[in-house]
Amino acid sequence: MIILFVALPLVVAGVLPVIGKISRRVVPDLLANATLLFLVVYTVAAGRPLLGNGPVIQQFALLGESVNLRLALDGFSLLMLLAVSLVGLCVTLFSIDYMEHYGAKANYYALLLIMIAGMNGLVLSTDLFNVYVFLEVAAVASYSLVAFGRGYDELEAAFKYLMLSVIASAAIVISIAVLFGMTGNLSFAGVAKALQELDAGPIVGIAAALFIMGFGLKAALVPFHAWLPDAHPSAPAPISAVLSGLLIKVSGVYALTRIFLNVFGLTPALSAVLMVLGTVSMVAAAFLALGQKDIKRMLAYSSISQVGYIVLGIGLGTPLGIAGGLFHLFNHALAKGLLFLTSGSIQQSTGTRNLDEMGGLAKRMPFTAATNLIGSLSIAGVPPLNGFWSKLIIIIALIQAGHPVFALIAVLASVLTLWYYLLIQRKAFFGNLNERWAAVKEAPFWMTAATVLLAALCVGVGIFFSFALKSWIQPAAGVLAAGVQTVIRSWGL
Amino acid sequence: MSNTWYLYLFFSAGLVAAGLYALLAKRNLIRLFIGIEIIGKGVTLLLLATGFVRDNILLAQALVVTYIVIEVSLVATALAIIINVYRHTKSLDIRKLAKLKG
Amino acid sequence: MIVQTALLIGLVLFSVLALFLKDLLRAAISLAVASLLLGIIFFRMGASYAGVFEISVVAGLITVLFILTISLTNTGEEVRESRLANLVFPLFFVVFIAIDALVMKGLLQKIPALPATPESGAFGDVLWKGRTLDLVGQIAVILAGVFSVLALFRKRDKDE
Repeated sequence: MIILFVALPLVVAGVLPVIGKISRRVVPDLLANATLLFLVVYTVAAGRPLLGNGPVIQQFALLGESVNLRLALDGFSLLMLLAVSLVGLCVTLFSIDYMEHYGAKANYYALLLIMIAGMNGLVLSTDLFNVYVFLEVAAVASYSLVAFGRGYDELEAAFKYLMLSVIASAAIVISIAVLFGMTGNLSFAGVAKALQELDAGPIVGIAAALFIMGFGLKAALVPFHAWLPDAHPSAPAPISAVLSGLLIKVSGVYALTRIFLNVFGLTPALSAVLMVLGTVSMVAAAFLALGQKDIKRMLAYSSISQVGYIVLGIGLGTPLGIAGGLFHLFNHALAKGLLFLTSGSIQQSTGTRNLDEMGGLAKRMPFTAATNLIGSLSIAGVPPLNGFWSKLIIIIALIQAGHPVFALIAVLASVLTLWYYLLIQRKAFFGNLNERWAAVKEAPFWMTAATVLLAALCVGVGIFFSFALKSWIQPAAGVLAAGVQTVIRSWGL
Repeated sequence: MSNTWYLYLFFSAGLVAAGLYALLAKRNLIRLFIGIEIIGKGVTLLLLATGFVRDNILLAQALVVTYIVIEVSLVATALAIIINVYRHTKSLDIRKLAKLKG
Repeated sequence: MIVQTALLIGLVLFSVLALFLKDLLRAAISLAVASLLLGIIFFRMGASYAGVFEISVVAGLITVLFILTISLTNTGEEVRESRLANLVFPLFFVVFIAIDALVMKGLLQKIPALPATPESGAFGDVLWKGRTLDLVGQIAVILAGVFSVLALFRKRDKDE
């Protein structure tokens, strides 16, 4: 019953506002968290038979008639579902305390659940237009979540995010229309087969370019990144975590990867374009992150940089590169989610996001400091945390494939990343305690619990990285690499 | 593909270009939104034209109907944001929304 | 074909007009007329369902929402558009149309396509049975839109 991944959050979202009118305090929190907990458990439960037997494709029958509700759960989708439900659960836990002063919590949970349903639907789709529909579902929910606090900055960020996102959607649908016109098909398998029969070089290139523009905008690849540094900091902290940790990856990187590797096939030209875009994002965003004073803005630029790493690994196209890229996608979702949540803790306790105003918070907020440190070191790529392994795999893959220059740039960007994260540590947590913060307390229970859970996952995946690689990264990479191989073979390369 | 498709593509491209120009050059928030609507028209025209030349008009209509429903939700959300912006700044000028640096 | 082309030209004309009319209300009406023309174009292509949807939803519902917003944000001052942008537009548009026409002419017969397989069934079957997952998505996006409006217009609680 894979449809549960989409149907359950939607149904709960539908009833939440009604329930919210009846009981404002406990029930919405309980319902939302229970839903996410169920999703986590269900992902793991659904994953086992999958990994034993291969992809699960389910066709449904409604009221006795078979309908075209095809959902496919393969290794790649499973990886994304796992990331979405894990980070989603921690975000809902965090929101129990954090969203208290925003009001309309039931409404907030409903929108968050719709966004999660949209992301789940995206990764389970087998059809180009379905991908677009669920992308929009998640996007429409995210616009209002960014603007949720209705403050000045939030509204500005939400409107600009909306404007750029609409351009992305238009590019995607135009490309889908062109592909439909050429192939008469909308499903991944159908279009892939038809494109192999046709010999339509340049037009496929234009369709691919439109997809890169559309999904690249969603993934915030340079030069399409302009909306992210405003949108992610202005949103409430748990939403920033979902946007940076999940949405840019699901609606940007996942869709791009799925379409390019399983439908178009990764030609050398496409691979080069992706690698260049990835590298530029990686480096440019890292430099831009250095100059930031607002902690959430620095994290936002860091997201752009890390997405660059992911795209670089996946664009490489070799099985090892794809595995590294996917592993980094998973790790970054965990770690960046964690970092945005801790920044929310800081903001709640001290009321500021300005790094220059903070100082020595580690003495008053030990848990937040520790978990933030773990998240920072993870993204910076310090062993034995999870980020180290994924970056290492990408770098090794680059060297093995004969791109030593890219590998060197990746290493240098890593050093930059480490530098600005240590800056955060020094300015916010260590050093002398600013007297203004002499009386701050540690974050409330659920917020701390959520961050501790994510930090534990980072450490756990880091220590048990080979288990993680074998059980859920390799199947995902295998699905994609197989797709690459089939298409390349058919082109006679 | 048949020549009529190119005719429709020609006009669709014109609509999308006009809409994009509006998004880049206009200052009134509501006019920016009209730009978004025009892009939507261009896209639906292209979708239906593609279905028309492929004899797949029913499938294309199903796609367009879904697209229009998505567009309505988008319009509702965007106009809600615009009205909230107005409550803050008493103006519809996008230059007033320039505090964040991007 | 001639009628269709005339309608298409009208569509583009009214859309562009909607962008440049000074009075926002007239701009909204112009956009509604453009939607009406698009609906008629859809009808003439044989897409009656899409035509009905376009006219009733885009020319109807969205226009109403626009006029509602315009009324609610009725400032005394006008937002002065950039003179330069308004002057440059005709030039830009003419150049774009010219390039567009040339590109189309060059692309004629160049885009390969698999032969068309005619479809069977009624529209209802195609929508409900053929694109069911889209319908789930539609429900989701409608919920998202409704909750967005509710969230953005909520009353201030004493907690906020």
